[in-house]
Amino acid sequence: MLPQEFLSSISLRYPCRTTQLQLLSALIGSDSFPSPQAFIIHGLESTGKTAVTHALLEESGHNFTWISCNECITPRQLTERIAATITTELAPEETNFPRCETVNALTVYLQQLLGDDGKKHFLVLDRIDQQRDAPPTLMASLRRMGEMIPKLTVIFIVSVPHPRLLHSVELPHVHFPPYTKEESIEILSLNPLPIDRIRNSDRDEESDDESEDEDDAEETAKLELAIWKKFCATVWDSLGKGAARSLTQFRDAVEKNWAPFVEPIAKGDYGLKQFSSLLVLNKDMFRRENTIIDTVIPASTTERPFTVKSHDLPHYSKYLVCAAYLASYNQSRHDALVFAKGREGKKKRRGGRAGGRVGKKRKIARRLLGPTGFPIERLLAIFYSIVPHDIPPAVDILSQIATLTSMRILIKASALDPLDGSAKWKVNVAWEYARGIARSIKFDIEDYLIE
Amino acid sequence: MSHTSAKEPDYHHREHQTCYLFNPERNDTPSTRPTKKRRTGSTKAKPSTAPKSTERCLFQPLLNGDEPEQAVRLRWMTYHRLWEAQELRTTAILESFNEKTLDDISTFVAAAEPAKYSGKLPTGLVLAGPNIASHGPLFRQFQKRLNEVDGAGPVVILTSKEASNLKGTLKKLIRDATEQSGDLDEDDEEVIVGRKGAKLLNYDLQILANWCAIHQGKKVIVAVQDTEAFDSGILADLVSLFGAYQDRIPFVLLLGIATSLEIFHEKLPKAVIRLMEGEKFDVERAEEYLAQVFNDAVLGKDCLLRLGPTLCNFLVDRQHDHTQSIQTFVAGLKYMYMTHFYANPLSIVLASVGENGLPLRQVLSDIHYKAVRQLPSFKQTIESCIAEERTKIVREMLNNDSALAREMEKASQRCLLYGVEVSRALGVFDIARSCSSSGSRITRSELYSRVLAGELTTQSPLVRELLMLVKRSNSESATKLLKTLLQSNYLLDSTYEDVLEELLDEIQDLSTEAGGKKKKNLTSEFDVVDNALRTTAVSRRIQISEHKSGLSTKDSEYSKIIQKVHDVFEQMFSRAFRPTKDLFLNEIFFYDYLSPHQEVFSPKQRSAVEDGLARPSEYLNCECCYLDDDEKENVLKSTNPVTSIAYQLYLESGVLINAFDLYQAFHTILEGGEEESDEEEGGGGQIDEKTAQALYYRTVAELRYMGFVKPTRKRVDHLQKFAWKGL
Repeated sequence: MLPQEFLSSISLRYPCRTTQLQLLSALIGSDSFPSPQAFIIHGLESTGKTAVTHALLEESGHNFTWISCNECITPRQLTERIAATITTELAPEETNFPRCETVNALTVYLQQLLGDDGKKHFLVLDRIDQQRDAPPTLMASLRRMGEMIPKLTVIFIVSVPHPRLLHSVELPHVHFPPYTKEESIEILSLNPLPIDRIRNSDRDEESDDESEDEDDAEETAKLELAIWKKFCATVWDSLGKGAARSLTQFRDAVEKNWAPFVEPIAKGDYGLKQFSSLLVLNKDMFRRENTIIDTVIPASTTERPFTVKSHDLPHYSKYLVCAAYLASYNQSRHDALVFAKGREGKKKRRGGRAGGRVGKKRKIARRLLGPTGFPIERLLAIFYSIVPHDIPPAVDILSQIATLTSMRILIKASALDPLDGSAKWKVNVAWEYARGIARSIKFDIEDYLIE
Repeated sequence: MSHTSAKEPDYHHREHQTCYLFNPERNDTPSTRPTKKRRTGSTKAKPSTAPKSTERCLFQPLLNGDEPEQAVRLRWMTYHRLWEAQELRTTAILESFNEKTLDDISTFVAAAEPAKYSGKLPTGLVLAGPNIASHGPLFRQFQKRLNEVDGAGPVVILTSKEASNLKGTLKKLIRDATEQSGDLDEDDEEVIVGRKGAKLLNYDLQILANWCAIHQGKKVIVAVQDTEAFDSGILADLVSLFGAYQDRIPFVLLLGIATSLEIFHEKLPKAVIRLMEGEKFDVERAEEYLAQVFNDAVLGKDCLLRLGPTLCNFLVDRQHDHTQSIQTFVAGLKYMYMTHFYANPLSIVLASVGENGLPLRQVLSDIHYKAVRQLPSFKQTIESCIAEERTKIVREMLNNDSALAREMEKASQRCLLYGVEVSRALGVFDIARSCSSSGSRITRSELYSRVLAGELTTQSPLVRELLMLVKRSNSESATKLLKTLLQSNYLLDSTYEDVLEELLDEIQDLSTEAGGKKKKNLTSEFDVVDNALRTTAVSRRIQISEHKSGLSTKDSEYSKIIQKVHDVFEQMFSRAFRPTKDLFLNEIFFYDYLSPHQEVFSPKQRSAVEDGLARPSEYLNCECCYLDDDEKENVLKSTNPVTSIAYQLYLESGVLINAFDLYQAFHTILEGGEEESDEEEGGGGQIDEKTAQALYYRTVAELRYMGFVKPTRKRVDHLQKFAWKGL
């Protein structure tokens, strides 16, 4: 057990993790107590696993090596990096590096390096579950290292522990549960965003000159914090609870909405105590979801009127996209019905079906089932039947198919050579996109889809 | 098809041999080498060496081989001269076009600090449009600009073809990034790659991190050229790796997007998208590229050879319907120059025009005069001269070569002037249209081809409507229109300029007079019609009466002026909007042959194969396949090539073809024909079972090779049909 003051100082920085801290400090312990050979820290994204563990190890003064496994592409890179990092930390003057290409070699090397040292050493494998190309035995063998080297403790940090992750169950687990509403708000309240007063610059400088008392300033800070807390709670209830539960996402959502929310206060139109009227004023904000949808371009900038000229596909490429959509979402047995020029057959069949067996078997709408493959001949046949006028069957059409494929609007659905007649393709766009394209060429795609 | 060998100089019989002894003949090689297309590219950089590269003339003598060698050379040289000038201008336009995007991106990269994006990867999304061919040059421009001009750091371009797995991509990324900045000394290399014993693996981003530690202030710019085609798993892995190393390596991502932002966002997992933040950049659209290049290459005042109406339509339509790629349009233009000078002996007339043109009489020889007299436009000119009873000139042109040359000189000047006038009149047309803001905008390229084809004259509704709008405009918009026109130098010649300037002054004087200090807006008396658009009857009536009573004397004076403006416009349009076919020598100055372009740029590969199989007589031209006029369609003859017989049977069958049935039919046809010939020839071999089978196996193998059939697993003894005719 580490001294209590350590824990409380860390606890100040990382609130709401007291239980986990105590558990960890018991496991890490001091030099006089042995630590387990390995243990697992698990918890979902942004629950403080990495930060708390790192802080604790640093404060405790133990030797430790921190490896971020998601930076390594192969297990070999991982083992070599472990060896290199430990060496530079323990024996910086060492020049004779062994090649630790496997876990075995690493174990042997670490046994040499750590064997006669009296101090404990911790090897933290952060995000080991994100290691790429990991063989199934990788984690188990890394755990065994702790058994073979008495001074070594291996700490695995994973998001979700698999029951048979290490092929043994007796390891201690430390769980970092997701923060609750109250905890999230408490953490966010540690550093609330300020209200950017426009009135200081905007209005005359009288208000500045009327030197605000310190009491006043304190009072304002208190009120602002109260607004922040209430605001956090509102965002949690309206948006965060459903869609942004992890702390970082929740903070993002709060921060993105904060500035527009307090704008009336910043302008001086509303007072600090009028939270509920602000809420009514901004009620639309909590219905919109654009602040919690992840985009590369920040939501606030995409909000402005969309004036950008869109890049257009070539005219017949649009028809090809429509044809591919139809080929993917209509069954081929309906083709004659839908695309044949004489349309009498359609009514008859439909009438016949409606009468007899309705509701016998409920079908899922085909649009929800995902696209099915089609041979290129079918695509071409549909294409020529939906194009309003005759076009010569030139090589241009095929080159457009190739272009659409490289844009991944069409994708190849079978591993065969694309020149093979039996190679299958499918469309890779959603209904909204296909409909948008169909509308831009005034083609009623709905008429041709069999629901 | 059979005459290809005679036509193509680089045809070699060995090309169709499966194997042969390679025996390089030194004397042989230069003449069989195909035209080097890149030659022109290298010459444009240093025009002084131009004669060198174009020394060897690759054109054939035309006019049944009677063309003097000098003329062949002249065509060759003129082609190079004209096309190089055109190409220079085109590339300049294309390069200047992305200037704004380049500027935006370079400021974005310069300002990209992780702190600005709250620890996320600074990402620029480049919306580059569906023209994939242009992405390569665009990204190379980025590379050049960011690395060489701005010095922001190494730019690594990743394409989907090179990125089949994560390891390989990282290797390439690290190699490109560390090598771009120039040579490293050994010490540096040791620092970067690691000490001897613990050399870092070559895909370890730690190498790049070490490199960045040495080169402070440099950013590593990773540009993904075709984000859509990239394997999304690899892209996601890459981005998350970059995110993990973000604190050590200052990455900046540039992602090229061909489709749309929505599709891009759907492609990547949310966790990866959360790692990126940035801006989007728009690249100019293909239509704007086209408009600019078209204005220069077809409407420009410097070009001698222009597109004819049919070909212009073909190229522009193809651009809109199929490719959206400016590169193919430019290729089409180049091909126009190539075929014109390659195949038209009279194209040397173009050598005589322009600033340093040779005198026409020196250029032409007897045989050329003969060829000129064969031109349709020559005949037409003669006929129209006869109609006007100018017989003297007709006789001279027919008999006297020097007189003809004189006429040709005049005619070529007229053709050039005509081209300039058309383009200027279209400019005037455009400005007038933009000032009056009438609804649908037809592009200039379309108008151009209509004018040349004679479909757009002053009588056509489009022009009349525009002239009406000019007439109806009030003093304010008329002033604006005239001012922009006078600034634009689109006016056909200076006399119009003077007239319009005078009229503009008059209008301005009048409106100042009428309104005193505050300029009053004068309305034209022709403006009444416009008000008929009023919806309710009462308001319309009020409007009309108001209008009539409201017309002051100034207004009627103004109306007279605007009538004059209208007349000037009409005069200009009627002068310029004439069809090309009335001009003598239009064949030389306006290239309008569709079929070479069609055959080269959009060949009908499928119907060629299908026709060849269905009607072998068209290609083979032999007696045995010959069809009489009354049996044109689908008559199976035993004398046809066997594959063609099998193909016709194949066309008649369903999706699954029973192999035995097909054989039976095949055999019957082979025999059926044989019997007839037996009777005629009296004897001869009945086709025996084994030969028939052998032939049958061969044809089926051939059909399979061409992708028409495949064995199917559904039924063992059946073939599956894969291709239908006419698609």
